[in-house]
Order: sequence, then C-alpha cells, then structure tokens
Amino acid sequence: MKALVFSLLSSLLALATPGYAGDCCKNALSCEAVAGQLPGASVYQLNSVWTNDFGQEVRWPSLKGQVRVVVMFFSHCNYACPLLVYKAQQLEAALPGDIRTKVAFTLASFDVQRDTPESLHDYRAQRKLSADWTLLHGNDDGVLELAAVLGVKFKKASQGQFQHSNLITILNSDGEIAYRESGLDLQTGSLVQEIEKLVKQ
Amino acid sequence: MRQSTRFWIGLAFLSAATAFSASLPPDGMALISNGVYRPLFADDSGTRETHVKSFYLDRLPVTVSDYLLFVNANPDWQKSRVKRIFADESYLENWDGDLNPGGNAPPNCAVTCVSWFAARAYAQWKGKRLPTIAEWERAAAASESSPDGASDPEFKRRTLQWYITPNAPLAQVGQRPPNFWGARDLDGLVWEWVVDFNSALVTIAPSADDPGGNGGLFCGAGAQGARNLEDYPAFMRFGFRSSLEANYCIHTLGFRCAKDL
Repeated sequence: MKALVFSLLSSLLALATPGYAGDCCKNALSCEAVAGQLPGASVYQLNSVWTNDFGQEVRWPSLKGQVRVVVMFFSHCNYACPLLVYKAQQLEAALPGDIRTKVAFTLASFDVQRDTPESLHDYRAQRKLSADWTLLHGNDDGVLELAAVLGVKFKKASQGQFQHSNLITILNSDGEIAYRESGLDLQTGSLVQEIEKLVKQ
Repeated sequence: MRQSTRFWIGLAFLSAATAFSASLPPDGMALISNGVYRPLFADDSGTRETHVKSFYLDRLPVTVSDYLLFVNANPDWQKSRVKRIFADESYLENWDGDLNPGGNAPPNCAVTCVSWFAARAYAQWKGKRLPTIAEWERAAAASESSPDGASDPEFKRRTLQWYITPNAPLAQVGQRPPNFWGARDLDGLVWEWVVDFNSALVTIAPSADDPGGNGGLFCGAGAQGARNLEDYPAFMRFGFRSSLEANYCIHTLGFRCAKDL
C-alpha cells in the first residue's frame, strides 16, 4: 500500500517536475531515434535505463535539450559527496536568474543497493534540492558505463563506502562534455562562466 | 543391493560427473582456480589480499580475425560507424576498411586500437565479460610451472624485459608457451583491458579521495603503501591503467574475455 501511494504521488509530482524532460522518448524505440540525431560524442548515446527518485524510468536521450550539470555521488558518503553536492547547489545559486532557468542538474548514484529511488527522494528533501534536479538510481552496468564516459574513477571500498573522483561535469544541450572540474574547491566562478557560454550559444 | 547404498553410489557418480563437467572450460578458455590476489596497494580497510573466485579466461587475446566476425555481426562497431563517445578516432586505426583489416592488422595478431566499450561489447556478444584487475593479475602472475611466478627469477626477468622494451611490433598470438593455467601472451604481446581499469585510486590516507588525478602515484609517499616495490611490471600496469579513458584506442592495447564458472 505504501509503495502504491508512493508511486501515485511520484507520478503526480513528476507531472509537475520541470527537470524531467521524458516526453521525447518514452520507450526504447523512440529513444533510439532521438539518440540517432545526437552527436556521436554525446553522453546520451548511453543506452542504460535508470530510475529517478519519483520512480520513473529515465533514458539518457530524454535528458537532451538543456545544459546539464552532472555529478556522480552516493548518499551515504561521509567525506566528499556532501561537499560536492553542496558545490553544485552553490553553483545553482550563483547562476544569474535568466541562465538558471535553462540549466538542469543530475545526481547519479554509485550505490545501486542503498540509493533506491525512495531513499534518493528522501535525500532530495534533506538537501532541499530544487525541481531542476534529477536524482538517478541505476544498475551495476549502468553505473560502470556512466563513470566510464564521464571519466570518473571509482571503487567499492569497505563498509559500504566508495572511493571515487570528485568530478563535476557540464554537458551541452546535446549531451556532449563541455567542461569538467575536479576537486572540492568550492569556488564556482569558472563553472558559472562555462555554463553562461553554453546557454548563450 | 540395498536401496540406500544404490542411492549413495548414484550420488557419488553424479557429483563426480558434475565436478568433471564444471572443471572443463569452454572451448578456448582456461580455468583459473580460486586463489589470492595481492593488490599493489592495500585498500582503505588495510586489506592486502583479495580472494579471487575460480573463473575462465580466454587462452589467447582476441585476434583480428575474431574481431572481424564481431564487426560483421554488429555494424555499429564498424570503424566508420562507431560513436565517438564509445571509441576515439584511433578506433581500428590500423584497419584498411570496415570489414577489411588489411596488411597492418594480420588475422592472427591480437586486435588492438579498440576501446573499453568495444572490448566490453565484444565480450557481451560472446556471452562473456572482461576480467577484473584481480582476475587478470591472478592469471598473469603464473609462470610456466607455478601459479605464482614471483619466486621464479627467469619468469620475472622475461616479463620485465617486455615491459621495458618500447613499441615492439605486433606479433602473432600463441607463439610462446602457455603459463601454468594454460593461458598465453598475458605479457609479452599487448596490454589488455580490464573491466575496472578506472578503479585505480591511490589513497594514502583512508579518507583521502582522488584529488583530481593520480599525482601521488610515482612519488615516494604514494609508493610507501605499496606491497612490493620490486614488482615493476605491476607498477607499470597500474600506471598504464590509471592513464586510460574508456574510449581510448591504443596500438598496444587489446583484450581477452573471462567468464564465470
């Protein structure tokens, strides 16, 4: 029953969620058509299927159309992820209003076991993430491939932790990697600049 | 004969048969039985040994003629059609055409200039997978006579010799004797992709994350945590893997497949 209420609520919420641009490809076939029009270097060529924190399937080609900030993380991370997500939130806040409305944010979790759509949904609430954020739960292969295209190094460590590089990636509206920034330096200046350039293109 | 005795004899036959069929590797593959891999660096919990379950490994690297069958069956992986995100512009650079390897890529040589994505797609097509670092290193640690070649100076010398020889020309696979497990060319021919090539994070302190690269790799501080400072080939492979991206296609980098028992 709880699950049913959750999924009903999720679908309702999703209808009102601007960050979710799923209309262009609801199934694998139309997704393939969208992918066919994307550049070969687009991250959205990936064909793994993820689930967002509203319980809906997300295919990469459906994310095209907006400049997108992508971060791989996991919600049980004790060290770097809280900072990394905070940095992305700072970046969101630092964007001028007219630019901000044209940018989407995506968090994809390494932790396929514990970061279920439900727990990612809790994470959204805890961290007060805006509706422009998409939180993604995937499977092992999907995580492996996403990390591979983004150039994120990661490794399962003890006690449910992951070692991983701290990378913020900016994708252009076609999903090509436009800029990557590594490290936990909380300055967002160069990220803001890159995003402004991309949005104005 | 009593019923129960017959039962036990039957069971014994059955388990013997099962054990026998389980130990027969698929065609072209060798059984690498379970054992221990000692990673170059201890993990965050200080563990210096990783248990490797028994698995099958291709006896030989995937050859150009093997790979030609793959691109024939999977046009998306032909060199003119592959997506850049999955393979950079050097993909099958030494091939003359989509379905024509040509003189620079002889059929019985290891296929190289293939990305991690391409290697993985090939393995999936074969119903196999890429080996992990632990599996690959476990297999490659064997000399011709022992699963652990570390105690064999001749094995160590020969392996090292290849690692310090720059750009040896591509040679045919299977020309040298098999190792203890029956696998050949794990060294001496080409580098090989592993599925977790991008897991090489050097962590000197347990809480330290990758500070944006592996700058600490070759400095003294980084090497302090290493298991065996004499294992130069292991350092070479570690460094090489750390430098790779998943769409890189390199002339000296090929792959072979693994499979669960």
